[in-house]
Amino acid sequence: MHYIKVNNLAFHYENEPVLENISFEVNSGDFVMLTGENGAAKTTLLRNILGLLKPTKGSVTLSSKNRWGEKLVVGYVPQQVASFNAGFPSTVLELVQSGRYQRGKWFKKLDKEDKEHVRRSLESVGMWDMRHKKIGELSGGQKQRISIARVFATDPDLFVLDEPTTGMDVHSREEFYKLLKHNSQDHGKGILMVTHDHEELRHYSDKHIELVRKEDSPWRCFSMDSCKEPSKHQSSFH
Amino acid sequence: MFFYGFMQRAFQASVLISLMAPMLGLFLILRRQSLMADTLSHVSLAGVALGLLIGVDPTWTNILVVILIAILLEYLRMMYRTYSEISIAILMSAGMALALVLMGLNQGGVTLSINQFLFGSIVTISEQQIWMLLALTSIIALLYLIFRKPMYILTFDEETAFTAGLPIKTMSILFNVLTGVTIAVIMPIVGALLVSAILILPAAISMRLSKSFNGVILIGIFIALTGMITGLVASYEYGTPPGASITLIFIVIFGVTAFVKKMVQQIKQGRLFNKKN
Repeated sequence: MHYIKVNNLAFHYENEPVLENISFEVNSGDFVMLTGENGAAKTTLLRNILGLLKPTKGSVTLSSKNRWGEKLVVGYVPQQVASFNAGFPSTVLELVQSGRYQRGKWFKKLDKEDKEHVRRSLESVGMWDMRHKKIGELSGGQKQRISIARVFATDPDLFVLDEPTTGMDVHSREEFYKLLKHNSQDHGKGILMVTHDHEELRHYSDKHIELVRKEDSPWRCFSMDSCKEPSKHQSSFH
Repeated sequence: MFFYGFMQRAFQASVLISLMAPMLGLFLILRRQSLMADTLSHVSLAGVALGLLIGVDPTWTNILVVILIAILLEYLRMMYRTYSEISIAILMSAGMALALVLMGLNQGGVTLSINQFLFGSIVTISEQQIWMLLALTSIIALLYLIFRKPMYILTFDEETAFTAGLPIKTMSILFNVLTGVTIAVIMPIVGALLVSAILILPAAISMRLSKSFNGVILIGIFIALTGMITGLVASYEYGTPPGASITLIFIVIFGVTAFVKKMVQQIKQGRLFNKKN
């Protein structure tokens, strides 16, 4: 089932083309990595997909239902979470619990199951012991980890992650990729992740979309190289 | 002092304002709209001047004008997303200019009333104003209880709120309108020049004292009550303007809490250093 369908998308910033001829799908159970050099408009593409920007040409369809016919829940981790609203008066626990609100809890109390989800999410990123800390007191890497915990607490049908592993060590990255793989393979979650760690991630992802600069364009415009299966012959973690 | 009817009404108004101010103030600070309260109070002066000019109860023209500007503010904030304070600068000056022009057109007779709206007058609080404040406080408290979670997400990060499916534009406009109506109702009591201080300062102080979101609101209410009641008593005893007295008390609380917090931090750091050695 298509969770994301991008059809011949183009995006221009004030008449200057930035993205052209982008077409791909992210289905339930897909783990898709999106790569490209710095400034390749990867974040711009994600923002088009999420509806934060409007494509100049083509279309983006974000499914309204998940594979069980319920409302599709999207979990988004934006880029540079380390600089997020640091003065916000909230504990780590409050912030991660807010991930559950999207699960039909906007106007209801969180129950035992919600709290269990939150605990497991915080434990999965090693932040359970810091749950009573104020978020402004955390380091950049810790803020990154609670943003990931928050999205795991949501338990979304579709993960949209923009360089979520920035500031993580090799071991934490490996654990994180395994957790994502488990979510896509065993629970049918769709994952679209922008990364620079494609050497590491290719062992876990199913599809690789690379944005490459169009040589025939006078602008700094990017297009899709292809949508390919990543080669998995060698592990970079070893 | 407690046997005078006007002082009883003044205390009632103080308690009601103390309950609502930290709830609105915290969201205003977190949305980086602290100055929006100032803008709306300047604009509401224009609303008052319009009411006096056309001979309609200024409370209603005030509310109407402030609602219109609160909606316009959101559109300008979206237009100048990166430099959202531009919207505040534009509308603050527009509001003040319009107020001055309308006052100029209606020469004589209005100076006294405008002075009351500029500096506030707690002794002239009517029973109707108390009922309006009570209704407004109940609405704000109810909305806070119902929409606390969506507002938490919206305030933390608008993009996350959007992807979570929240109607961020509608929520922002409604929040601005609610702030505008609150300012229009409080302004005759505390004065246009200091209404924003009374909304913002309790939340600004309590943000430094509590780690959690609900904690900030609860401590903010306690600080607001302390500042409002103390300021009111001081105003009665020394014959000073109530809005100014209350604001100065808040500034003193701000200074004392900042100093005490710094001292506590230094003592803690000193203990840690001694332990290590």
